[in-house]
Amino acid sequence: MLAWTWFELGIALAYLAGSVLYPLSLILRHPPFKKAAHAAAALGFALHSMDLLAASVLETNLLEQGQFYVSLLGWSCVLLFFLAWWRFRHDFLALIAAPLALLFFVGSMAIHPATAIVPERWSILWFGFHVGAIFLALALLALACGAGVGYIVLERTIKSKRKIPPALQELPALDTLDQVNALAVTVGFPLYTLSMLAGFVWAAFTWKRVLTADPKEIVSLGIWALYAILFHQRLALGWRGRKPAKMAIAIFLLSLASLVFINFLLPTHHSLAPIHP
Amino acid sequence: MSSRIHLIGLSHKTAPVEIREQFALAGWNPVAGGLVQEHGPITEAVILSTCNRVECIVVGEPSADIPNLVRQTWAAVCKQPESVLAQHTYCLQGPAAITHVFSVASSLDSMVLGEPQILGQLKAAYRQAVEAHATRVILNRLFHKAFSTAKRVRTETAIAASAVSISSAAVDLARKIFADLAQHSALLIGAGEMAELAATHLLAAGVRRMAVVNRTLSRAQELAQRFGGEAHPFDALPQALLAADIVITSTGSPTVILTANQLNEIMRARRHRPLFLIDIAVPRDIDPDANALDNVYLYDIDDLSEVVEENRASRQHEAEKARCIIEEEVSAFLRWMDELHLQPTIVALLDQGERIARKELRKSIRQLGPNPDPHTVAILERLAHSICHKIYHAPIAYLKRRSQEEGSAERFIHQARRMFQLDGDIPPEDAHSDRKRQD
Repeated sequence: MLAWTWFELGIALAYLAGSVLYPLSLILRHPPFKKAAHAAAALGFALHSMDLLAASVLETNLLEQGQFYVSLLGWSCVLLFFLAWWRFRHDFLALIAAPLALLFFVGSMAIHPATAIVPERWSILWFGFHVGAIFLALALLALACGAGVGYIVLERTIKSKRKIPPALQELPALDTLDQVNALAVTVGFPLYTLSMLAGFVWAAFTWKRVLTADPKEIVSLGIWALYAILFHQRLALGWRGRKPAKMAIAIFLLSLASLVFINFLLPTHHSLAPIHP
Repeated sequence: MSSRIHLIGLSHKTAPVEIREQFALAGWNPVAGGLVQEHGPITEAVILSTCNRVECIVVGEPSADIPNLVRQTWAAVCKQPESVLAQHTYCLQGPAAITHVFSVASSLDSMVLGEPQILGQLKAAYRQAVEAHATRVILNRLFHKAFSTAKRVRTETAIAASAVSISSAAVDLARKIFADLAQHSALLIGAGEMAELAATHLLAAGVRRMAVVNRTLSRAQELAQRFGGEAHPFDALPQALLAADIVITSTGSPTVILTANQLNEIMRARRHRPLFLIDIAVPRDIDPDANALDNVYLYDIDDLSEVVEENRASRQHEAEKARCIIEEEVSAFLRWMDELHLQPTIVALLDQGERIARKELRKSIRQLGPNPDPHTVAILERLAHSICHKIYHAPIAYLKRRSQEEGSAERFIHQARRMFQLDGDIPPEDAHSDRKRQD
């Protein structure tokens, strides 16, 4: 992919406008800002899609670039938020989508030459599946994290019996926020699991070993176990509300920390860090 | 020369309900009633008559005593002495009347600040007036602006955002807990005026079903019939609590009927589906500790009253913001009124120019001979018209600018009309004969 261009600056600015205008519309009670925020997020998403498409056509060594993956992660988040917005019909989700996309996109621009390991030709399908499924699962977790924060704040206000302040009035009902969590758990966990399995299959082809004692592998197994507990509690015991919300937030934050610390700082074959000459 | 807006009315602030009843004008047609006449002093009227206010908003000649005229007709229609009416009415005109109409539409003048009904009533009153052909350009514009101002106030301030009664506060909370009330059913335990009112509000808000539990089954059946739900005996309470998501309790029991422990068991059996408990009873029916349980939201009468009190206070605060919006809209409307007064003068000026241009054009074409070249004629026509438009452009722009200045519009319009002799008042030949002699 290209370095910072006016085009990419445009994407970042569109996401930034979306991130700033939406909270402003809530604080100032000025509805046109909300429309503008939606338009900005949609514009950012359209430009971002074009950017990724252009990169995949123009660049030959795309899969070797860590930048591409982080940018793709940001794009997946916005895609999923738009799908969720369409499903739940609530503006609140836009509040989380734009800043996340901005974070990932600007993060992706900070990385230049990187050392992602490219798979052998014949195992590329497993690799694609591994990356695609994990990004969707992460985007779902991001969704559940945003909804979870909303849930906890609103729930605390209702339980404390204080007046619900105008900014929180804009939040959807607790029920809706919990449904977002349910979606992230029932769809996200199977995706996460499939991604891990695909990763193991690919590792078996590439290194002739399923477990390679890679730090990312170990941490991801730990996160998977937490995710599995949440999946079980929600489906088998009927957990609802605050507990699954808190757990989804924790799992997403752990995944984010693992992305930042392991993929960029530790020696791992999941590394997205730039090459040091 | 220019018509004025007048408002003559009485409201809950100036008249007790007995007076408001006597002077109600609901359904009265101001055209059929003779208040609005083609060439009379009053040219437009809208009559607003609700239980809290009766107001006549009229447009009339500045020379006539409009308030008296309206009051006389009004008292005659209601067959009541005019002196009583005069004691309780307020008469506003010009900017004050416009501000009042905008405030009423935005529910700033209502008994319960921010209540939504008044806007609907005002719309109905306006529709009636339109159907009676009692409105023209000024009141049409005034009411459309009143409706859009009310909409602005509603979206830009939180004046109507919060509930100011116990029942509506409960409904608001239910909406914050459950996404779609139509998917949830409610349960009424016990009876009582306030509990029944809350139940009615919940049903009106779309709750799917209302079951009733009571110690006396016959009373339960009676209430259930009223709410179109089913009645259960008191022993069936635990089962009823599995089916319902919103519970209103109001029994006369001296001790709690539901402990936190019982509710904990019930929540497990419900697989933690959220439960909203509204405890209106005094002493309370539900152990206050139940609020600490996950997915249980317990509000008692004091909690709800507190929410209502806070909401009332915040409405007062929002009303200040609303007044600023109204002030803006009123000055925009006044600007429009001034331009409206200007409109006939602009039309007359341009007409005069056109007339002069056509007259001079005819003379010039005659001089071109019997069969003038059509191309030359077209050029002359364009020349005449563009000179006329360019000459009149500056005075028109000047008048428009001056009319924005408050109060000076009429004076400038008057001077312009005299300067351009728009009203045909040509000065007599010997008007300045003394000056001519000095020359």
